[in-house]
Formats: sequence, C-alpha cells, structure tokens
Amino acid sequence: MLPYISRRLLFMIPTLIGMTLMVYTLIALAPGGFSASASAAAGGGSPAGGDPRIAEAKFRDRFLLDEPVLVQYGRWLARVFPIKFGERAQIDATGERIYPPAALPETMMVGSWGGDDPGRAVRVACDMTRSAFVAAAEGPERQAQYRALSREAKAGREAFVGALTQLRIALAEYATATKQGALVDRRGELQAPQLDHLVVDESASTWAAVRMAADTATATYARAAGARAALEASFESRPFTQAGIGILPGILSVGAPDLGWSRTKNRPVGSLIMEALPVTLLINVVAFPLIYLVSIPTGMLAAARRGSLFDVISGGVFIALWSIPVVWAGVLAVGFLASNQYLGLFPVAGLHSAESSSMAFLPGWGPSGFSRGWLLDLGWHLVLPVVCLVYAGFAVLSRQTRAAMLDNLNADYVRTAKAKGVPRHDIILRHVFRNSLLPLITMFVSIFPAMLAGSVIVEKIFSVPGMGSLMLEAISLHDAEIMLANTVMIGCVSLMALLLADILYALADPRVSYA
Amino acid sequence: MQNRFGIKDFLVLLLLLAILSTQWLAMIQRDRQWPLLQTVADQVRSLEERLAALDARIGQGALTTAGTTASSQSTAAPPVAPASSASWAREGVPISWQPEPGFASDPTKVPGFRVGGEWVEVFEGQPQKLTPYLYADVYGNRVVDRVCESMGTFDPKTMQLVGALADAWQIDPDGEWIRVHINERAKFSDGSPVTSEDVRWTYEDFILNPAIDADRSRSTLADILDKVEVIDDLTVEFKFKDALFTNILIALGEPILPKRYYAQFEAAQINQGTGLLMGSGPYMLEQRVATPADLAAQWTPGQDVVLVRNSNWWVGRAPLERQRFRIIKDDLARLVAYDNNEASMVLPTSPQFNALLRDRADFEKTNYALKWVNMRSGYSFIAWQCGPRGETGRMTPFVDVRVRKAMTLLLDREKMIRDIWDGIGMVAKGPFNPESPASDPSLSPLAFDPAGAALLLTAAGWEDRNKDGVLENAKGEKFEFEYTYATGGEISERIARFVSDAYRKAGIEVTTRPIDWARYQDLLKSRDFDAITLAWSANSPESDPRQTFHSESMAKGRDNFSQWSSPEADMLIEKGRRTMDPETRMLVWHELERTIAEGQPYTFIRVAPWLRLIKRNFGNVRMYKTGLSPEEYFFAGSTSSIKPGT
Repeated sequence: MLPYISRRLLFMIPTLIGMTLMVYTLIALAPGGFSASASAAAGGGSPAGGDPRIAEAKFRDRFLLDEPVLVQYGRWLARVFPIKFGERAQIDATGERIYPPAALPETMMVGSWGGDDPGRAVRVACDMTRSAFVAAAEGPERQAQYRALSREAKAGREAFVGALTQLRIALAEYATATKQGALVDRRGELQAPQLDHLVVDESASTWAAVRMAADTATATYARAAGARAALEASFESRPFTQAGIGILPGILSVGAPDLGWSRTKNRPVGSLIMEALPVTLLINVVAFPLIYLVSIPTGMLAAARRGSLFDVISGGVFIALWSIPVVWAGVLAVGFLASNQYLGLFPVAGLHSAESSSMAFLPGWGPSGFSRGWLLDLGWHLVLPVVCLVYAGFAVLSRQTRAAMLDNLNADYVRTAKAKGVPRHDIILRHVFRNSLLPLITMFVSIFPAMLAGSVIVEKIFSVPGMGSLMLEAISLHDAEIMLANTVMIGCVSLMALLLADILYALADPRVSYA
Repeated sequence: MQNRFGIKDFLVLLLLLAILSTQWLAMIQRDRQWPLLQTVADQVRSLEERLAALDARIGQGALTTAGTTASSQSTAAPPVAPASSASWAREGVPISWQPEPGFASDPTKVPGFRVGGEWVEVFEGQPQKLTPYLYADVYGNRVVDRVCESMGTFDPKTMQLVGALADAWQIDPDGEWIRVHINERAKFSDGSPVTSEDVRWTYEDFILNPAIDADRSRSTLADILDKVEVIDDLTVEFKFKDALFTNILIALGEPILPKRYYAQFEAAQINQGTGLLMGSGPYMLEQRVATPADLAAQWTPGQDVVLVRNSNWWVGRAPLERQRFRIIKDDLARLVAYDNNEASMVLPTSPQFNALLRDRADFEKTNYALKWVNMRSGYSFIAWQCGPRGETGRMTPFVDVRVRKAMTLLLDREKMIRDIWDGIGMVAKGPFNPESPASDPSLSPLAFDPAGAALLLTAAGWEDRNKDGVLENAKGEKFEFEYTYATGGEISERIARFVSDAYRKAGIEVTTRPIDWARYQDLLKSRDFDAITLAWSANSPESDPRQTFHSESMAKGRDNFSQWSSPEADMLIEKGRRTMDPETRMLVWHELERTIAEGQPYTFIRVAPWLRLIKRNFGNVRMYKTGLSPEEYFFAGSTSSIKPGT
C-alpha cells in the first residue's frame, strides 16, 4: 500500500505542472493575453493624465509582463512550488517576501545607442558598486539600508523603463515619418528586433528626438543598473530572515508557496483566498451534510418500497426541484421570502446583520426580550443561500442510493439472508446499505473539490463574498494570478481526493488491492 | 461477553460532545466581549481627555459665546484677511482668500433637525482597499472622500474651486507654481494639526514613493509635479514642470494624509493593507488601526465599511453618528434591501426607477426619488475611425467629416434614450458636462434629420447607385462598417441593435462585433475598429481635452483613438490648457466644444443623470452640482418623514 501511495503522490507533481501549464497557456493565448488585466487595471473610465503608453510600460515592467510566456511561467512555478532552487527568498517582519532584484529589461537596445558600448562601462561600474558595497550592522540598520536601496532601485528602474519607452516611441515616430511604419507594433512602439531593419537617415527632423531619447535612456540605464547592483549586494548580505527551510545551502530549499499579487485588485492573492475560502467552506459545510441527510434515507426508503407511492412522489419531487434553475429560485427567494412587501422572513444579503458586531455570541434572553446573538444571526442569513445550493442536489444522490440499493437487493446474498430468516430491517441496514455505500463514498470524494470552488450564482444573488465571486471577477478581468492560484488549489484538492477515494475503496472492498 | 458499542454509549458520547461544544461556544462568547470592552475603555479615555481640556479652557476663562460653528458662511462674501497675516505670500502676486469651509446648507436650520442615527449606503461591488491612492475601484474612492480632505474642493452650488484645508492661495500668472496657505484650525481626526510637512510628505514621500503601489496617481503626478516646498508651518509651494491649468486641480485636489500616522508603517504594510485610512474629514473609519502592532484588526473586504463621526472635525459637526456601506451585488436584492429599510440610499437602474414611480402612488411620500445631472455624470458616445484602421491601415468612410455628421444625424438619440434607458438621460452635445461652465449653454445637440444626412452622404459620394438598397461610392464599393461594443451588458446589446437598425434603414451595412471588456483597451490602443462605443466618466467640472482630442494624442497607444485631427482644435486645446484664468479658459472651451461639434469625431449619445432613492426620514437631502453631501444629512427618526418640498 505504502509504495502505491508514494508513487501516486509523486505522479501528482507532473500532473499539477501539466495542469497549470495548460491554464497558463490558455490565458496567454486568450485575446489580450496577460496584458489584458494590465490594461483593465490601469485604465479607468476616464482619460489618463500623461502619456498612457509610459504608464502602461511601467505597469507591465512591474509585473515583468514583457518576458516570453514560458519564462513567466517558469518564474511563477518557482514561486508556487514548495521545493525551491537557488538563493532563498527572504521574509521581513511584515511577512512580505523579498526576492533577488529582477534583471533590467532589454539592455541591448540601449547598448547599441550610446556609441562605443556604454553597456560595458555600466557593467564595470556595477561590479565596482557590488564589490565596494559595505553592509550595515546586522538587524534594523541593515534592513533600513536595504529599504533605502530598494526605493532607489525602484525609482531608477521606473525612470529607465519610462525612458526606454520614450525611446521606442521616438523611434516609432521616426519610422513613421520616414515611411517605415510597418516596423511599428500595435502598441505604437518600435521594439529591439526591428532595429536591425530600420534605415537610419540622420538628417530627418525626427532623428534628433531619437538621439535625445537614446541619451536619456543610456543615462537612466546607468543609474538603474547601478542602483540594482547595490540592491543585489544588499540582498546578498541577508538583511532579513530567509524564507523556508534550507536543504542544500544556496541550491535547494523547501518553502511555503507564494501565490503572487493580484493585478486587478492590487492585493496579495493569498489573502484574497484566505478571505473567500472560509465563507465558501462555511456554506458548503452546512449544505453538503443536508443533502446527504435527506437524500440517503429517502433513496433507501424508495428502494425498500420500490414502486410504492413514496417512491414515486419522492422521485418526482426531487426531479422537479432539480429542474428549477438556481437563478430563478434565488431571485424568487429574494423577492418573496426576503422582501418585507411579502413575507420578509429572511435577510436579503450578506452573512451578518449590520448590528451583529455588537451582538452577544449566543442567543439569549436579555432585558429587551429574545436576542438572536451572533451565531444564530449567521444561521439565519445562511438559510436562503443554503436552500438554493441544496435543493437541486437531492435528486442525483437519492437516485444513486436507490439504484445501488436495488442492485444489491436483487443479489444472491440477500436471497440467502432472507431464506435464513434474517429480519428485513437487518437485511437492509446491515447488508444492503453497507454494500451500497461504496459508490456513495466515491461520489462524496469527487464532490469535495467542488465545495472549494463555490457557487457563482448563489454567491452573486445573496452577495456572499466567497470563492465563486472571486473566481468570476478574476475571469472577467483576466486576472491570471487569481485564476492560477485557484487552479493549483482545486487541482491539489482534486488529486488528493482521488487518491483518498482509491484508498477508501481498498479499505472498504477486500477485493481491491494495490499491492 | 464482548462489550459492544450500544445506544447507551452513543448517548453518553453525544452528551459529552454537547457539553464540550457549549463550553467552547461560551469561551468564544467571552472572547468577543474583550474588544468591545477595549473600545468602550478607549472612548471613556478620550472623553476624559476632552473634558480635561475643556476644564482647563474654562479655568482660563477662554470660552466665548459661540464657537466657530459650521454655518453657511460659504455663501457670504470671501473674507478679507488682515494684511499682517499675508507674510507667507510671495510679493506682487494677488492672494486669493478662500471662504471659511462649512456646510453648503446648514442642517441645523432645517425643521426636524436631530443629531445621531445611521446612514446606510449600498455598494454594487466589493471594495478591496480603503487606503488612499492605493484603492483600485470607485467604492474605495467614495469612502476616502468622506474621510480625507484635500486642499481645495468644488463648491457644491457654484462648482467653483474653493478652499477646504487651504484658506488662501496664490497662483503664478504663468502657471509655474502655486503657493498654498493651510487653515490654521485644520486638524486630523487624531487631533494633530495639518501642517505643510504633511502636504509635502503626502506628495513626495507617499504618492511619488516608488515603494508604495500608488502607480496610477504616481504616473500622473510625476509628469507634472516638479517639487513641493515647505515655506513655513502652514505654507507650501508646488512647483510644476509645465504651465497647465490642470496643475491647480492636482495641487489642490489630492487628499492630504497625516504623515505621523502613515510614516509609522513599512511600505509593504501599506501595500498589503486593506484599511489604513485616516484623514481630516467629517468621518473616520470605525475599525481604525493606530499602530503597526494592531494591523490585524484592520478592516478587510467582506465586512461592511463603517464610518463614525469624527468628533475632532475642525469644520463643524456632522449630524449623523455613523455611515455604513453594505455590499449587495444583485440588482433586485439591492432594491429589496432598500425597501426593507436595510439601506438609506440605493442606486436604482433606470427601469427600476421609473417602475417605482409609476406603480407606487405614494412612493415619493416616504422616499426621495432624485434624478439630476451633476459634474460627475459621464457621457456615452460612438467614436468614428477618422484615420487608418489599426492592423490593416484601411481608410474607413468616416475620414470624411460629412459622413461623420451624417452618421450623427441618422441616429435618433431622443428615441434611443426613450427605448433603451426608459427615457432617463439627455442627449449629449460634446465632451464637457452640460452643468459645467466649460459647456456653452447656447449650443444644442444636432437634431435627428435623415433627409439632411442623405444630402450630406450624397455630397460625400455615397449614393444607392445600383438600386439594391445599399449605398455605394463612385468606385462601386458598398458603405459598410463594423460596430464594436463590449459584451456582458444588456444595455450595450440594445444599443448595438438600435444603431445597426438605424443605419441599415439608411442603406448602410453594419456588422456588429462584441468584444470582451478585458480586451477593449487593447483594441482602442491599436485603433483596430471602424466605430466603437464607450463612455467617459468625470469627477471634476473640467478635464484636460488634450488626451482625447489633440492630434498629438493620435499616436498609437494614446487616448485620441478616433485619430481625429483638427488644427483649430489643437490650437484651442493648447490655448485653453495654458490659460490660468478660469473665465477666459471657459470661453476657449466653448469654442472648442463648437469645433468638436463641427468635426464630430464622436457621435455623442447620452449624458447619464444620477438616480438615487433616499428614505425620507433623512433631512437636508439636496441635489448639488457636485453630487450628494451625506455629511450634512440628519436622521429625523425612524417613523418621521420629511415632507416633500423641504
């Protein structure tokens, strides 16, 4: 058994990687790709000040969106994967992960513009900065030193990216003016690979602007590279505690996954999920046992009294419920059960009343009569969303139970038991029901990942801030980080659940063995 | 005998579990009382402090009859300060003294005035952050507006720029600097005074700090602001890179943050934080975080946003004790919650608004049903491709101004508003808000005129030459174009249907092209469309038209995506941007509005008025040109209702 489990666990790694790679490629291939969320986040409903191209370039650079998709995927994987290679990230007191500074974009474009290879001069200067770097005393001083350098490096990098974009724009303007507009890309810039095809006419009036932009870019590049080198040296002096547990120093370590930063919400994905997941779990923890508690006994009873009025009615009612669309039921529930114009029995939206924070936790009788208390208030708010989640689930499960029970009721061992004179309820509960449980266990395990995914419709109608709404917003805004984090999470849980199902199978059915 | 697990054991186990879980629940119950006790203790302490301060002042005999209350002094003539107090100013430049800030309409003078009560607003989506400059949605903006103040603000009645934190300023006639003097009474909600260092810090060390994720504000500001200089404790001078009228709006319009508060947090804490919000405004966040040690207690998404009255507000005292923002995402649920009295104000959709007024005769007895155009009303439009289309470089028929004009004449926009928006809205005539002084009231939108359009089209060479019902030009090419719109809204689907019907009737072939919103920006930047529909929103009476209408913004990636170029408009835009005097500038904008109407790069469709339903048990509810001012509302009691007309 143990070798089997460890083999399955190892197989999960390539499966997960394949899964995330597929989602990653799908997002990258979708119209607009990764930058779609960038523009949706950067552009509001009103015209931006300044040159939007430079603002966008800075935004893209902040998330390194201009790198090839596979490189981006690799970096993402390295962050999420619990086994890390290379220099460990560091964690500061606020819990922020600090990574080694990223390389500057496209130095080659600037290198070819400043005459006799200024790139080399900058490299030499950077090496000198690095070797001349003196780390401050360990502790707060070194951290303050790192932060100051980090601010400097960020400012330098932003200035350089701005200048580089300006250079690309100037080049594009020059290209358009000299009838080489075909070299310009759809963002209105001229990228480095096109430079080789550009015919240079130094007498053109737009060329002066190009020279000027190139000079600025070269100057800002030197500054940005210097600041980055200093920051790198400071990072290597380890101002903060290292993240994770080292296995081979500098080569291999184990650390918690970092789910990244949501571009549309401007917040860490991890905390977004930590807010939404408990809400979804709460609803589902109430809803799923309800489904099981209702549908399994009904299914059993229906099978035991096959063809009776109860069988027909329960089957009919459940199928009828199953066919009511949740959108419609939810709106009706809000309109009739929640509105004071009609019944007004339940709250309209959310999980707590406005005054819930000042309520006692448990219900009780105070001087002003019965008070609901926080817990009961929550329960009261959960009624409608849970009902909407539950009612359609009865049919499948009760029919499944009924079918499994009927299969077993017709089996030989049941006939033998009957012949031996075993009482009927013993036959049904001890023999038939236990044997019919197998498919139900597998079903539960496969449903479990769905509990984490949340329900988009119910969450929207009842304004429940769960995983469903988080995912829906992420999809509509192309927020890749949230989608990927969700994929990883659901993927892990699904794979674990499948493994669990197989193990349970072996435990429950002696005929199955993985030896 | 084998001891089997029987019913009795089961019951005992159940009992044990029940006892344990009640114990556990009781522990949680106890635990919840602690923070409450803590808050009460804090409040008692702050009350004691204030009492002691009051005592001391009485002891000194310094209590005068009536303190500075917030009366409607803003309507009075601007006070002229004594000459001695102008020592902060630069010589030779006139000082513009600002009226004392106060309520636009004094709630205490309204019959039924009471203090206290809670105001509940509904958000349609989940705000993610309430931290100024870092929030990424309109909801964050709405909360920050009530908690923070900027140096200047727009007068609700006149829409003029008036002082908020500032009591005077000097504007360089050449527009290169502006020197601002802060009101000496101004203080933040923690009681500390607003100083020039706070202002400098907000601009230079918060917004312009690359370690803080305020990218959007930073990129705008970095292009314009050179530096902020502290002159004395209450005076700052902004220096700009270029002389533009928008400089004043930027210098005076950004919320000022208390340095003492924000500087104690690491940049990472501010970036990851969700509710680090403190300012000098009428309200403050209920879940305040005082120090980095109690960051865990900050507001997080998923909870209601609750603001409590800032008892230290230096301008006066807001009547309402609390303002709460609930999140209800569903249209119907929002209205039901409002009906159930779970919300004081709600934004209805146009059909909801009309249906309520039509179906419930006494609706306005208990509710204000407000509909008005204000400076925040945006406009929707169709932009015509006046230059080569993105990928292909193909020229659209809209290169010809006569064709663009005909397109507008062919669209019955009055009917559109009737059919699509249930009659709510007005036909837009240009890029400036009709309530704003930038818009010329004598200019009216082009009327629906198919005959005139046909003449224009014929003049431009488009005629039905082969009598197949479709227009052709001299080369025999059909008049056809692609209409691009964003998917996901019923309204935009209906506009698309209306537009294609209208043009098909005139013999123009329209193919509709629905596009995912996430891709829309990309399409605009690459100019890959013939005609595209969009709306601009607004948050001040005038915005810089250069982004959208200047020919220099035609370069790919900038905001003149219709690629309209007009030397006359360019000249007017340059002139207007460099005119510091508001009145002269408005005249330039009037002229620009006419030029744009002549050029018709856009077919302006509709100015969207604000629709609000508010319970009548709130008083002093007024429609202002700047929107609504809930800080001056009062709660008249749960059963009373303010009579219509007051």
